[in-house]
Amino acid sequence: MFQSFRQAMAWLHTWFGLVLGFVLMAAFFFGALSVFDREIDRWAIPETRIAPQPMPSYEKLLRPAFERMQPTPLAIDAMRPRVDGPMPAHFDTVDSWSAYTTHRDPVLALYAGYQVPHAKDAEERIWAYATIDPRDGRLLPDEQLKIGSGFFFPLHYGLTLDWKNLGIWIVGFSALMMLAALVSGVIMHRKLFREFFTFRPGKAPLRSVLDLHNLTGVVALPFHFFFALTGLLIFASTYYFPLGETQLHGLHERHEQAEARETGLPHARADVSAGLANVDAMVAEAQRRWHEHGKAGEVGFLVLQHVGDANGYVSVYRAGTDRIALVGDGIHFKASTGAVIHEDPPATPVARVSEFLTGLHLQHFRHWLLRWLYVLGGLTGAACIATGFIFFVEKRKKQHAKTGNQGSRVVDALAVTTVTGMLIATLTLLIVNRLLPERLPAAWASRGDLEVYLFWAGWALAMAHAFVRSAPVAQERANPAWYEQCRTVSAMALAAVLLNWITTGDHLIKTVFTHPYWPVAGVDLFLLASAALATVAAHRLKARLGADQLAQSTEAGHA
Amino acid sequence: MLEGGAAALLLFAAIVANGVGMAWVALSMDVHWQQVQGTAPSRGAVRRLRVLGALGLACGLAACLRVDHASMAVLVWIMALSAAALVVTCTLTWRPGWLKALAWLAGCEARP
Repeated sequence: MFQSFRQAMAWLHTWFGLVLGFVLMAAFFFGALSVFDREIDRWAIPETRIAPQPMPSYEKLLRPAFERMQPTPLAIDAMRPRVDGPMPAHFDTVDSWSAYTTHRDPVLALYAGYQVPHAKDAEERIWAYATIDPRDGRLLPDEQLKIGSGFFFPLHYGLTLDWKNLGIWIVGFSALMMLAALVSGVIMHRKLFREFFTFRPGKAPLRSVLDLHNLTGVVALPFHFFFALTGLLIFASTYYFPLGETQLHGLHERHEQAEARETGLPHARADVSAGLANVDAMVAEAQRRWHEHGKAGEVGFLVLQHVGDANGYVSVYRAGTDRIALVGDGIHFKASTGAVIHEDPPATPVARVSEFLTGLHLQHFRHWLLRWLYVLGGLTGAACIATGFIFFVEKRKKQHAKTGNQGSRVVDALAVTTVTGMLIATLTLLIVNRLLPERLPAAWASRGDLEVYLFWAGWALAMAHAFVRSAPVAQERANPAWYEQCRTVSAMALAAVLLNWITTGDHLIKTVFTHPYWPVAGVDLFLLASAALATVAAHRLKARLGADQLAQSTEAGHA
Repeated sequence: MLEGGAAALLLFAAIVANGVGMAWVALSMDVHWQQVQGTAPSRGAVRRLRVLGALGLACGLAACLRVDHASMAVLVWIMALSAAALVVTCTLTWRPGWLKALAWLAGCEARP
C-alpha cells in the first residue's frame, strides 16, 4: 500500500491527526486552563475570593460542620430503589467524614458517607457534600458551578460525556494516537535538529505553516509526550483496568480484609460505640512525624472512618506541595485513644515511579513558575494541532478548488470551530457567569446548568458561522470567519474583564496594586493578553483578506 | 530548598541561563549565524558556541536544582528549555540583530 515506511507514517500522522486532532485540541486547551482551575473558580464565584487557608481545627470548626451535614433529598431519592423498605428520616451511622483542601483552595470541601439501613448492597453508602469557609465554618453555596475545577477540568479529560465514561475512552484513545502522531511526526520530520529554531513567516503559506507546526511540536516534545503518556496512565489505573474492583471482586474483598489485618486499620465497624480523642492533637502528631522526615507539614486530607465506633480511626494525609510525586504519607490514629496505629510505609520503587508520573500530570505541588510553563506547554500543543489543520487545508485547497472537492472547505470550517470557536465558547461561559442573576426562577434550569448550556450554544453558533462563511475556501481563498471570530474573541475577552469589574467591583488596579488578589488578577490579565493577541491576529487576517479580494478583482478584470 | 525572594531570583537566573545557552546553541548553527552576522562562522567559533551553550544550559539546571526538590527541578528545567527555544526562535525570526550581543559576549565576532 505504501512505498516507504515514511509514507506510511505520513498517512497515519495526517488522518489520525485530523480526526482526533479536534478532540486533542479540546484536551490541550482546557487542560492548559485546568492548570489554574482553582483560580478560575474564584473568578466565577465572587463570594469565595479569599486567601487560601490551611486545614482548620477539627474541634473548633470541622466537627460542627460535619454534624450539620445530611444527604440531599435528591440523593435520598436516587438511593431509594436500591433499598428494601423505607428510607430513614435522618442518617445517623456515619461511615466516614472527610475534608479536603489544597494550597490553592480558599474553600474547604467536606464529604460525609452514611450507612444505609437495609441497603441491597450493604457496602453502599449515601453521600453528602458541603463547601465551607474555613475561617468561620460558614456554609458556602455549593450549587454554583465551579467553572475551573467543575467544568473545564472534566471537559479536559472526558469532554463531559459521562454516559458509560464514553468521553474518557475517546480522550484516552486520542492520547494513545497522540503518542503515535508524535513518533510518526518525528520520523517524517527530515531536519529535526537543523530546523529546530526555524520559523519563516515570509515564505509561502504552506512552508511557514509547516515551520510553525514543527516548531510547536518539537520544542515542547517532552511536554507533549509525557502529558499524553501520564494522562493515559492515570486513565488506565482508574478506568480502563481497575482489575481489583471488577474481574477480581471476590479477591478484592479478601485483599481488603488482609490489608486491614496487616495495617491494623479496621475494615468494618465493631458496632460498639466509643468516644473520639482530640483530633487536633492527632494532626499535630502527624505534622511532627512528617517534619522529622524533612517534609512540608500541611494537611491536605483528613478522614474519620467509622465515626463513633470502637473500630473508628482517623487518617491524616499530607498535601504534597514540595515535590512532584503525589504522596500522602498517611498517618493513622485510633479514634478513641489517639494512639498511632499505622504509618504508611515508604513506597516501593515501582510505586514511586507511578507517583512521580501521576503527580507530574495532576500538579498538586506549589510552584507558580512551573504552572505557567505548563500553560505554555498546553497552548503550544494546541497551536501545533491548529497549524496541523491549516497545513492540511493549505496543501489541498488548490487541488480541491480545481476538482470541486469540498474536503478542505469542511476541514477549514472545523478548524475555525475548534480554534476561535472554542475561545468564543469559553468566553461565553465567563460572560454568562457574570450576567446571570444569583437567583433564577424556580422553573428554570439551575444557574450552573444554564451556564453550561450557553457554553455549548456559543460553540454551536461559532460552528454555524464558520460553515456559513466557508464558501471562499472551495475557491482557494481564505474563510473570512477566521477574521470575524478573532474580532469577536477580542471584544468578548474585554467584555469579560469589564463585567467582572462592574458586577464585583474588582478591577485590575485593585487586584494587582491596592488589594492584591492574584487568582482574579491573573484571569483578568490573561483575558486582556488574549484580547490583544486576537486583535493582532485579526489585523493580519484582514490584510490577507484584502490582498485576496484584490487578486480576485484583478483576475476578474483580466477575464 | 530555598524559599521566597532568593528562590525567585535563582529561578530567574535559571531562565536567563537557559535562554542565553539556547541562543548560543542556535548561533553555533551555520544558518542562524548567517541570519545574525551575515557571514559564515569560523570552525573555532562554532566549537566555542557549542561549549558555551552547553555550559549555559548546565548552569540553568544547577540553579533549578538549588531551588527545588530534584524531581521538580528537572521538570522546571525541561519546561524552561522549551520556553527558551521558543523565545530564541522568535528572536531569530523577527529581531536576529539582537543576538549579535550574545555572539559578542561569547567572544565570537563576525569575520570581516
